[in-house]
Amino acid sequence: MEASRQGGTSRAEGIARPGLWGLRVTPVAFGVTLGVMAVALEVLFTVRPPSAYGVCIACHGRDLLGWVTNRLAGTSLELAEVSLTFPLLTVVGVLVGAAIAALRNGELRWHQPEQPLPSFLWGFLAMNFALLAAGCSIRLLLRAAHGEALGLAAFGAMAGGIGVATTLMKWRALR
Amino acid sequence: MTLAAAATLLGGMLLGYLGQRSRMCFVGAIRDWLLVRDASLLKGLVAFGLTAWLAYPVLSLLVGEGEGLPFLSLGDLAWGTALVAVIAGMGLGVVSTLANGCPFRQHVRAGQGSTSSLAYLLGFYLGALAFYLLLYPVLARLL
Repeated sequence: MEASRQGGTSRAEGIARPGLWGLRVTPVAFGVTLGVMAVALEVLFTVRPPSAYGVCIACHGRDLLGWVTNRLAGTSLELAEVSLTFPLLTVVGVLVGAAIAALRNGELRWHQPEQPLPSFLWGFLAMNFALLAAGCSIRLLLRAAHGEALGLAAFGAMAGGIGVATTLMKWRALR
Repeated sequence: MTLAAAATLLGGMLLGYLGQRSRMCFVGAIRDWLLVRDASLLKGLVAFGLTAWLAYPVLSLLVGEGEGLPFLSLGDLAWGTALVAVIAGMGLGVVSTLANGCPFRQHVRAGQGSTSSLAYLLGFYLGALAFYLLLYPVLARLL
């Protein structure tokens, strides 16, 4: 009932708002935009050093948090060179952009936390692994595209990790 | 505010918007293909990799940095660093699959109101503090 009503709403809005705002973006269109943007941010908009740093969720988030913490608490947490004077704001942009898209398309609602504690733990571990590997899933592939063998190796290892976890989940579901 | 910060804010907003519309996830792409041979997200991942790979030489030439990139460079590779990167990459893959999405996807879901993704982000940023206060000093001594 709830689902069908929501389905009806979004369909109605899809008709009411054609054009870019209601557009259904394909993953390929997203991938191409991200590829051009990540390189353009680095080469044209000086998001460097380090290299292959145009888009990274973990590193840019670390820079923002570290910069604020250093200012407020007087700590000296490590930041990327590009974030020393003013931090990169990618993660803020993504949160705001996603919220605008959800709002425009009637998809902004507070979901009850299904599993807040495991999610918290996965987030904690994901950041530590990403900082050790020097990049989130996006930057690992960006480093590979930049010609860095280590980025390619870490991305391949990540794909392997996804394979291990997927197999594990499949095995548990079938048992 | 510097040029880089302003550009990443605007760029991030565009990515967040398009990410919400396309439901793109870089971990989900590989997971969906492995699990049910659904390649729709995987095509997005491949498109990103290829576009970035082509955009580097093209945009570098455009701004007159035409020294050319190496096809694949090893840099001054230390085996300890390589081992850490591979193990950490694998760990990132495992926890991101269990979390049901890559860090980017979690930010998008948090932006559209998912509280479990907000819990993920809380862990994510506390994890960064813990990394520099606890794990990093230990590793710096070991490696």
